[in-house]
Amino acid sequence: MSNSGTPSSETPPATDSAQEAFGSTSTTPAPAPAEPSGPPASPTTVIANHKKKDTSKVRFQAIGNAPILKQKVYTITASNKFLAVIQFLRKQLDYKHSDPLFLYVNSAFSPAPDEIVHNLFKCFNTDGKLIVNYCTSPAWG
Amino acid sequence: MPPQPDKGKTTATASSSSSTPAPHNPIAKVIWDGSIPIQFTWDQAEAAAVGSNAVESFFYEAPRCSYFSLLTSHVRKHFVDMALHFIGDDAEVWYDYEGTPLKWHYPIGLLYDIHGLQASAGRGANGSLLPWKITVHFQNYPADKLIKSQAIDSCQDYFMSMIKEADYLRNGSTKKVMNMSKSDQTQLWDGLSSNNYDRFWGMNHKLMLNDGVMARNLPIRIYLPETCPVIQEPVSPVDENSQPKTLRQILHQSLPDLFPLVETGLPVAAAMIHGITPNLDTSAIWASQNMSYPDNFLHFVIIIK
Repeated sequence: MSNSGTPSSETPPATDSAQEAFGSTSTTPAPAPAEPSGPPASPTTVIANHKKKDTSKVRFQAIGNAPILKQKVYTITASNKFLAVIQFLRKQLDYKHSDPLFLYVNSAFSPAPDEIVHNLFKCFNTDGKLIVNYCTSPAWG
Repeated sequence: MPPQPDKGKTTATASSSSSTPAPHNPIAKVIWDGSIPIQFTWDQAEAAAVGSNAVESFFYEAPRCSYFSLLTSHVRKHFVDMALHFIGDDAEVWYDYEGTPLKWHYPIGLLYDIHGLQASAGRGANGSLLPWKITVHFQNYPADKLIKSQAIDSCQDYFMSMIKEADYLRNGSTKKVMNMSKSDQTQLWDGLSSNNYDRFWGMNHKLMLNDGVMARNLPIRIYLPETCPVIQEPVSPVDENSQPKTLRQILHQSLPDLFPLVETGLPVAAAMIHGITPNLDTSAIWASQNMSYPDNFLHFVIIIK
């Protein structure tokens, strides 16, 4: 829980490192569980492995009157919460806290700020990118 | 004399236009009826600051499927009647268990399974945790730990977002929810917030049965101990031979070390939902359709043995 949710842990362009971290994600969104070799990991190891960091690519798409970003695809630490995506986008748009901004995944639903980016990526990515739509008034309820 | 209209038919037509009754489902009903007795105590420092050191606790039997936001008006009223001078918004009220702030957008039963049962199993403690002792705060909202909602009815928006996310996992779009009329969508939340099983399930079964179409993925979240990030990934309900997967197969996909396909020794972990540990040979699609929380997700809390 230490630094997740902090906007500072984002690494904006860094397209190359994203390639490394994410090799084949565009074809296989769900990593196949590896054949267990040797004895199973202990619960402590399992929990530690699930806290590891990774990156996900996010593509921002403006809707309606929302300003368009010059750069649309960013690499974001996957263990971050969706809140980090919200805060990052606000910073890019130079929006104040009071300015209304609504974010959706795949033009369909609005994740809670504490959802994990990696989970959203695994479940909803399109061609290796998590599509995040944003607008200044509620669009899909 | 003209023939009397067929009474049975008339009432059937009339009722189907308003709302369909919930289908008979004893499993969904007992899950809906699950509850947790809670003892709400006012934060000592807050009470002492206004010179009220001996304010009585508030006892409430909360439905497991409900949310703390839905109890806030009752809780606030109790403490206002006692001593509290509170002119703030109900969205300022927050709850903690043993110092951990509780998420208002998680179902109460899920919070109890995580912070009560999972945590006490981790300490090797046994003995009853009931009534569940919750501390109520009317000040100092921990905005760094809990989502700060603009209003108390944000809970409804978060709930509907979960329903849509679940629909997206099952169908690759939210058409099933978006094609519902506004009042049909509202019926889900109204049924939940008024603890009306028939109202909720009368609408929810349409989402659950998915028009008989096999879901692409099941809406499942898995909670490991020690504030490990929640696990959610695409989980197909069927294997490569189109046979329904069991809960064990599903859990094995995400946590192969904790849930081997063939148990060779004593199990190292158990998966809990609604406070019980279902048989892992249970069909996963059946579990999803019958044992999901009202937000349409199966929330599995992992207990390490």
